[in-house]
Amino acid sequence: MNLKEYLKIFKISNLDFSKSLGISNVSLSRYISGDRLPERKILEKIFQITDGLVDANDFYLEKKNPNLLSEIQKQKIKEIVNEIKKGNRNYLAKAITIIESTLLSHKLESNLLLSKLPSNQNSIRIGITGVPGVGKSTFIETFGMTLVDLGHKVSVLAVDPSSNKSGGSILGDKTRMTKLSVNKNAFIRPSPSQGHLGGVAKKTNDSISCLEAAGFDIIFVETMGVGQAETAVYDMVDIFLVMLLPSGGDELQGIKKGIIEMADLIVVNKADGNLKKSAEITTSEYKNAQTMISKMRKDLTPEVLMCSSIESFGINEIWNYIKKFIEISRNNGSFFENRQKQKIKSIWNNLNSRLEFYIEKNIKTKEFVKKIIKDVENNNLDVNNATDIIFDYLSNN
Amino acid sequence: MDKKKEYKEWENLASQELKDKNLDSHYWNTPEGIRVKPLYTEDDLKSLHHQIGLPGLPPFTRGPRATMYTNRPWTIRQYAGFSTAEESNKFYKEGLKNGVMGLSVAFDLATHRGYDSDHPRVLADVGNAGVAIDSIEDMNSLFDGIPLDKMSVSMTMNGAVLPVLACFIASGEEQGCSMDKLTGTIQNDILKEFMVRNTFIFPPKPSMRIVADIIEYTTKKMPKFNSISISGYHMQEAGANQVQELAYTLADGKEYINAAIQRGLNIDDFAPRLSFFWSIGMNFFMEIAKMRAARFMWSEIVKKFKPKNNKSLALRTHCQTSGVSLMEQDAYNNIIRTTIEAMAAVMGGTQSLHTNSFDEALALPTNFSARIARNTQLILSEETGICNVVDPLAGSYYVENLTSEIVKESKKLMDEIDEVGGMVKAIELGIPKMRIEESSAKRQARIDSKEETIVGVNKYKPTEKQKINILSIDNEKVRKKQISRLEAIKKSRDKKIVESYLEKIKNAASGKNNLLEICIEAAKNRCTVGEMTSAMESVFGRHNLSTKTISGVYGSSIKNDGKKDLIEDELEKFISKRGRRPRMLVVKMGQDGHDRGAKLIATGFSDLGFDVDIGPLFQTPEEAAIQAVENDVHVIGVSTLAAGHKTLVPLLMQSLEKNEAKGIKVICGGVIPPDDYSLLYKLGVSKVFGPGTNLQEAAIEIINIL
Ligand SMILES: Nc1nc2c(ncn2[C@@H]2O[C@H](COP(=O)(O)OP(=O)(O)OP(=O)(O)O)[C@@H](O)[C@H]2O)c(=O)[nH]1
Ligand SMILES: [Mg+2]
Repeated sequence: MNLKEYLKIFKISNLDFSKSLGISNVSLSRYISGDRLPERKILEKIFQITDGLVDANDFYLEKKNPNLLSEIQKQKIKEIVNEIKKGNRNYLAKAITIIESTLLSHKLESNLLLSKLPSNQNSIRIGITGVPGVGKSTFIETFGMTLVDLGHKVSVLAVDPSSNKSGGSILGDKTRMTKLSVNKNAFIRPSPSQGHLGGVAKKTNDSISCLEAAGFDIIFVETMGVGQAETAVYDMVDIFLVMLLPSGGDELQGIKKGIIEMADLIVVNKADGNLKKSAEITTSEYKNAQTMISKMRKDLTPEVLMCSSIESFGINEIWNYIKKFIEISRNNGSFFENRQKQKIKSIWNNLNSRLEFYIEKNIKTKEFVKKIIKDVENNNLDVNNATDIIFDYLSNN
Repeated sequence: MDKKKEYKEWENLASQELKDKNLDSHYWNTPEGIRVKPLYTEDDLKSLHHQIGLPGLPPFTRGPRATMYTNRPWTIRQYAGFSTAEESNKFYKEGLKNGVMGLSVAFDLATHRGYDSDHPRVLADVGNAGVAIDSIEDMNSLFDGIPLDKMSVSMTMNGAVLPVLACFIASGEEQGCSMDKLTGTIQNDILKEFMVRNTFIFPPKPSMRIVADIIEYTTKKMPKFNSISISGYHMQEAGANQVQELAYTLADGKEYINAAIQRGLNIDDFAPRLSFFWSIGMNFFMEIAKMRAARFMWSEIVKKFKPKNNKSLALRTHCQTSGVSLMEQDAYNNIIRTTIEAMAAVMGGTQSLHTNSFDEALALPTNFSARIARNTQLILSEETGICNVVDPLAGSYYVENLTSEIVKESKKLMDEIDEVGGMVKAIELGIPKMRIEESSAKRQARIDSKEETIVGVNKYKPTEKQKINILSIDNEKVRKKQISRLEAIKKSRDKKIVESYLEKIKNAASGKNNLLEICIEAAKNRCTVGEMTSAMESVFGRHNLSTKTISGVYGSSIKNDGKKDLIEDELEKFISKRGRRPRMLVVKMGQDGHDRGAKLIATGFSDLGFDVDIGPLFQTPEEAAIQAVENDVHVIGVSTLAAGHKTLVPLLMQSLEKNEAKGIKVICGGVIPPDDYSLLYKLGVSKVFGPGTNLQEAAIEIINIL
């Protein structure tokens, strides 16, 4: 929201706010009216005080051509963009760091950066999900090497869970992609999913843009089939692959309901050794069930294939299917339509996650909201009424 | 009746002495999950899970021989890692003059992993941690003037076991000793490599086939040679507790028996030649009980295969005092630790023993420290009178109970392995590895929060740093020498014959012929260790480890003593300045597969709030630098144990510069001699951490460096 709205909603007087910013009331009025743009330091402060509700973008939107980034920063971004176009890995890596950063100044930089990157419709974005240990990384290693040998430039974004209380994470995907990770036509970047503003989805989306600009034509996005991440990934890829273990149904395997329905391609991995038999059984079971599954992405019936990432078996079939899928969807236009839809959808997704953040920071913390919650706890108020009251407050502001 | 009353009386008295304290609070819950009481009585002998019996008789709890040390004390078996065949040969001859009857060969890392010394991946590994063997020629110089029909030779080799054993056998023949006269042991325990030490080459299944080929061949042709030494040592070194060490090692043993039986061998033909290898740490009674429990359990396990010969049931073992129990800080304390550990090994009835030198936490032993280590054993054997009685602790209420508890707990772990279908399966699933890493992380947390005392490290720290003289190796010189030798061999041999043997190895690998038999011929015809390995690799593939890392264990086991809050504050500051958590890449470069340290750091630091990337094992410095750049980390943590740092760190620094990533800080940790610190700092390393570093303190320092 812009500063004016913020002050109104939170019933903060201009004078009070200018004091907490440490500037004069007059300067504040100029910022509010849009006559002048706050300098960086002030921006950062506003961002902090408003818990991120008023950020540089809010000024940006009003002023078409903002002077928010210093010349040096702009120069830096220009350099990054140029180097990325040349395929410079160092700059690509730095760009992703900026995209993932929680700093306001980085957010500004990344907005500029993304607006300058060329878009690329020739890439194939492949989402891969499946329970931990199903073999996603191993598959990407084997499959990715095959693609590199065919002359493709392959990149991998891996969204790891930040598991523990302290919020740190272990990013170990490269240990399973030993060949791919040292290949000069491959770029692998595991990211901690710990995010503040915007959430994982936005950041991954933006990183994809960087990779494509750097000339990578195959983008893998690996995610675990256990959280919300896979729906988000579904909305950023051209083809969505669900990987299964060679035994039991999806419920037994811990795959969430609905995930299978999203699949464009189901792959039963580990079809080797004494698992081969059960892989075959699982594959045919899914094939039979597949006719009943509603396809979310038009014409093609989702395929069920079998592979062994360790013995490189079934990999070519998977590539052939993906090629066919992409070709058909390019020819009938659904490929581009889909990407277009995804763009719009990401607006709503971004909005949702901002809203969530807003509720977390600005609604739950309100004294009167806390009181309502207490009332519900003490059975003085029922859930529906409480929800209504809070929503009214939210929408009125 | 009387006794019950008496016990009550003791309880009352004890409670009084403890004042307000509860007697229950004086139970000790060991890391193995055993609850140890403050007092044991004869009542506790009534329901044991094992039989005590007599030494030399089944179930052998009290020892594999009837007379044990009263007849002949254990064998003192010390090995040292000399880097060239010539130097080792000199050392052996010196020993022979002084009455040593057994040789021990440690190989360098390149040989372990089946690379010849001229391979680009082993720049820093040649001559490290042992002798480099590229071909039969090196083997010939190693044993030059040493009669192999009179000398028992023990070789620590697992990954490249075929070409190395083949060179050994062929070398014996060239000096006129036929293979049936060869005595000694080859470690050949590949399963534990997949669990902890990572010195494997091929995937588990072909690796097990190789083990079976060797057992088959040696059983038929080399009756005096021990075909395998089933090792728990490296598990404890990697952080396993004693129950895990025992259970997983016995489970490995069972798997090897199965493999041999499947080859159609008779249990009595090979079981008496199986031997074991334990690590002996500081938990004195636990170690003794472990060794006794092991013998009992092994006899039970082998019994199921219906042997006719009692000897098949008896477990014989070698022991080594624990390397991880040695500390860099206050290093002379290590002499005392080693003494206590050696005593436990002896009380537990070992057949042979290696005592570590006190400086092994820093570097390879010097003559001086090696002498003290050796004397430790001589004093135990000749000054204490311990040797005069067999299994002196048998019947002790406490020791028998502990033995029994260990039997019980280990069986549980072994059942878990059986449930998933045996050890190979369990390893593929990563179960034992995960359990061991859990134990390791918990122990570090106990030490860091001072629940477990280590004198001179987390308590009673010395005020001055002592200066200790240590030995260092110029591995570049060794490498050059090996390379020129390889060139000479390759010039003198018949290329066509070499090719034909390599082809035969490939065929045997994809077929059924005994690989050892063919490798011996290949070795005689001057095929190198590396060539034989790649021939097999072309069929089997090289195994890639899928590194699983646990998380949360360290974090939840650490006691909050204020340091955690401090770290959180520092992190908070860091994030608000940089927009993300500090991100560290933990790397293990070179061919050293000991990743306990690296794993511990990874899980510990992530629990403390860092984002930690881990690199694949066996990375080259260039690969590590590229990964650091791509993941855009703030710092690289280099974990090093095998003295490779002097070559690897400079290469890493160069690679970082080449990749325009000089901004990435580098820190080092592990076994690094203090004399090398200044060299590393000169190279631009920001901080060096020795063994026994407190992770929380290190975390704060690293944040400050960044
Ligand atoms: N037998 C067999 N094992 C496989 C295959 N693919 C992967 N694995 C094994 O399965 C385990 C897990 O593989 P990963 O690639 O790490 O699985 P992942 O799905 O990426 O796991 P997370 O990243 O933890 O979610 C490893 O031990 C692999 O060696 C396969 O095709 N056959
Ligand atoms: Mg993975």
